[in-house]
Amino acid sequence: MSTAATGRSLGLLVCLQCRATVRALEVQYPRCPRCYAHIYPRKPHSLALTAALLVCAAVLYIPANLLPVMYTRTLFDDERDTIMSGVLTLMQSGSWPIAVLVFVASIVVPLLKIIALSVVVFSAWRGSERFRMQRSELFRMVEFIGRWSMLDVYAISLLVALVQIRSLAFVSVGPGALAFAAVVVLTQVAARTFDERLLWESPK
Amino acid sequence: MSLVIVCPSCDLAHQAAVGPASWATRCARCRAPLQRPENGRIDTAVAIAVCALVLFFLSNAYPLVSIQYSGTTRDTTLLGAAMGLYSQGHAGLAALVFFTTIVGPFLQIACLMYLLIPLRLRREAPGQNTVFRLLAQLRPWTFVEVFMLGALVALVRLTAYARVIPGIALWSCGLLMFALAALTSRTTPGQFWRWVDGSRT
Repeated sequence: MSTAATGRSLGLLVCLQCRATVRALEVQYPRCPRCYAHIYPRKPHSLALTAALLVCAAVLYIPANLLPVMYTRTLFDDERDTIMSGVLTLMQSGSWPIAVLVFVASIVVPLLKIIALSVVVFSAWRGSERFRMQRSELFRMVEFIGRWSMLDVYAISLLVALVQIRSLAFVSVGPGALAFAAVVVLTQVAARTFDERLLWESPK
Repeated sequence: MSLVIVCPSCDLAHQAAVGPASWATRCARCRAPLQRPENGRIDTAVAIAVCALVLFFLSNAYPLVSIQYSGTTRDTTLLGAAMGLYSQGHAGLAALVFFTTIVGPFLQIACLMYLLIPLRLRREAPGQNTVFRLLAQLRPWTFVEVFMLGALVALVRLTAYARVIPGIALWSCGLLMFALAALTSRTTPGQFWRWVDGSRT
């Protein structure tokens, strides 16, 4: 494996926008000859950017789960729902498949995503040579599944738009929803700033 | 004759046959998808784009769902979901929902039509490279399929309290989700640039 010919060893770059393989030139800001996108040997400041975004996401994950995401006012009572209490309400109303879906998409996936990306960034920083393929596949899975966490944000936005019968029932957004959406967006951006190729490089 | 392609996921260099791949290939080292069979016709892609545009129009013109609750009826459109958040002072969240469910899909369809229709006529759209790069940046931020599942969750929550009537837009949005998926898989960057190269000869 150590003798594998790579783009770097052959002086080739790959354009991440149009996937053209091009010869690396000694200019300051190389651009792809086909689609004119900037091309880099590696995404610039990849590890630092991804790590910073992950720290933000991990901090915001706490208010996202503790603060209410939704307030419901009806004639009889006031309710404040966090993500978890929303899942429990769904569970009690008998729609447990939907409850499991929301639980996985809103609680499990963001947490696993933060952990998985941290593992990947940390091992790339150390230049670890073990389980490279598994880490590579883990990263691609995270990138693919992460988007589904937005599910609850959309559900809340629809409930807010629909349940506005002033005197009878009124739903409004809680501060937790903002933190939650920020977690999803930050982790999505973090996955995009991470350069997978760093997983395959040994420290010099 | 062969050419070198470099895996964008692990930088391993591969030798590949010149010409379109006839089956999907994966990187020998990291198993990332490397090539897809690229024999799609541009006509099909244009047709799906037109179809997606019609569905997009329907999804926005009609109400998504209406609820009946002790004699009152209320309905909302796709835009209404974002506007509801905005009117409660959550401009950031509203912008996020607006962008990922309306602007994103629309720009994606519009960019593709702008690029593909001239290509079909063997011309190149002005600013083709810029529009192509915009499209590549937009793609990860289109969340129509996630929105559909979110809508399902919201409706299930509501059925406990009110009568829920799905609207035309809910169905067209469901179809739009499939149209966008078909469009994305048929207009991969590799395929797109092969069409461009084809129109130049």
